[in-house]
Amino acid sequence: MISPGASTKTETTIKLPLAFILFGLGAFVTAQWILFINSDSLTNGIFRLPEIWMGAHFLLLGWIVMVIMGAMYQLVPVAFLTKIWSEKLGFIQFTITSTGIIVFSLLLGFKTSHAVYGAILVIIGIGLFLFQMGMTLKQQQQTTPMTWFVGTGLVCFLVTIVAGLLLVWTMAFGSSFNYTAIFHSHMLLGVAGWFTLLIFGFSYKMVPMFSLSHGFSMKWAKPAFFTYTIGLIALIISFFIQQSSIQTIGWLLLWIGFTFFGLDIIEILKKRIKKKLDRPFTFSMIAIGYGWMIHLVAVLLRIFSIDNQTVWSWLIFLYIVSWVMFSILGYLYKIVPFLWWTHKYSSQVGKKKVPMLKDMIDDQIGIILFITFTVAVIGLTLAGLAQFHFFVALFQGVMLIASLYYMYSIVRVLFK
Amino acid sequence: MSLVEDVNGALYEVIDPELGINIVDLGLVYNIDVNEVNDVHITMTLTTPGCPLHDSIVGGVEHMVGRVEGVGKIDVELVWQPAWTPEKMSREAKELLMF
Repeated sequence: MISPGASTKTETTIKLPLAFILFGLGAFVTAQWILFINSDSLTNGIFRLPEIWMGAHFLLLGWIVMVIMGAMYQLVPVAFLTKIWSEKLGFIQFTITSTGIIVFSLLLGFKTSHAVYGAILVIIGIGLFLFQMGMTLKQQQQTTPMTWFVGTGLVCFLVTIVAGLLLVWTMAFGSSFNYTAIFHSHMLLGVAGWFTLLIFGFSYKMVPMFSLSHGFSMKWAKPAFFTYTIGLIALIISFFIQQSSIQTIGWLLLWIGFTFFGLDIIEILKKRIKKKLDRPFTFSMIAIGYGWMIHLVAVLLRIFSIDNQTVWSWLIFLYIVSWVMFSILGYLYKIVPFLWWTHKYSSQVGKKKVPMLKDMIDDQIGIILFITFTVAVIGLTLAGLAQFHFFVALFQGVMLIASLYYMYSIVRVLFK
Repeated sequence: MSLVEDVNGALYEVIDPELGINIVDLGLVYNIDVNEVNDVHITMTLTTPGCPLHDSIVGGVEHMVGRVEGVGKIDVELVWQPAWTPEKMSREAKELLMF
């Protein structure tokens, strides 16, 4: 029996996701530049410095958060079969958030005590985004594991920015808050909570879509969700009550949750029809392996009570770069050609010869870029741990050049 | 040749831009109905609900079928049930994707 389809036409106009993505690419290069000129601080493993905060927030907020927001404006309608609640609000939110991120990051670097004013703008922008997504997801007819991951990721994001506001408030006006516990919670929920849960959620749609997989079970989605979320809660509790055994359990739960997610992805990939996967997509899949290993290393560091600040700082760096950033770098190499192709050629199918999606971006350059990023990150981490300044500067320079070329290769799609 | 066959032939020209395979070999076309005044009703699906290429594929179908001589109105109905499965693909399409 053939039954009628549900909603079918749910796309967002290209301008909104593209605005976020282009801003993100600019912030990505800016962050790499800031980290390059401050590579001496990276060498010393001292990441809690204004210049590094500035670079880190251009990277985390300007690049990763903005790209994720842009991608969500395109992917939420695709994954949840529901229209974005208000595109007009999306453009307002983009203007406020992008301005806020620039002001906030610069103030963090040059006038930390005033960063709270930039933070307020960022929070308004992110608050509008969360409201927009809340209203959009509310329209969804049927919830799926993706809804839990993405919904909880959004909640983590909200708590992250509230914690961030408390931190800059303390810097500006002083307070009696438990600064260290809030700082650790801010990092945990921002990086592991928001980014990881979101990548988990969207992977359940994107991995089968890009690999043309069929007949998989997703049986680990629920255990992955609950284990990972409980792990996050356990870690936050441990930060406040300073109980190291709970912290070890928290990291262990995160790793187990990640493993469950990985088992589902392995099954999806095993049942794929498209045997030859696109290289950028493969890079995102490899990033899952990196993420799993980093979680495992965190558990081992906890078990063996290794609390060295430099080691943990570089582990967080690896978490952000090799798991979160590499996932995004790979997916963006697929998403932007999709966006531009549908904008430019969608209405011309059949009327004239149109390029295939694979013709929109150079896969070979992608391979070179992804290998370069991987080598640079490994080199940077090893040089940082060994505190070899020359090599830290060299590999950060390679990161900068690779990020510039990555931006160029993405922007070039828009001229096809 | 009947109009249904002509329409089916035209659908071979609609290529999925991601996979580079036509929609008939991919098994996306479920049914083609032609009524007494040659209006065409096509029932089809996509490989996944919410596929971002929805507009381009449906637009391509409308355009290619519109070029078939004698066709009246064209109505493309997108359905999710029964869901697409790889078994619906032709042998040629399977071979192309497997290697």
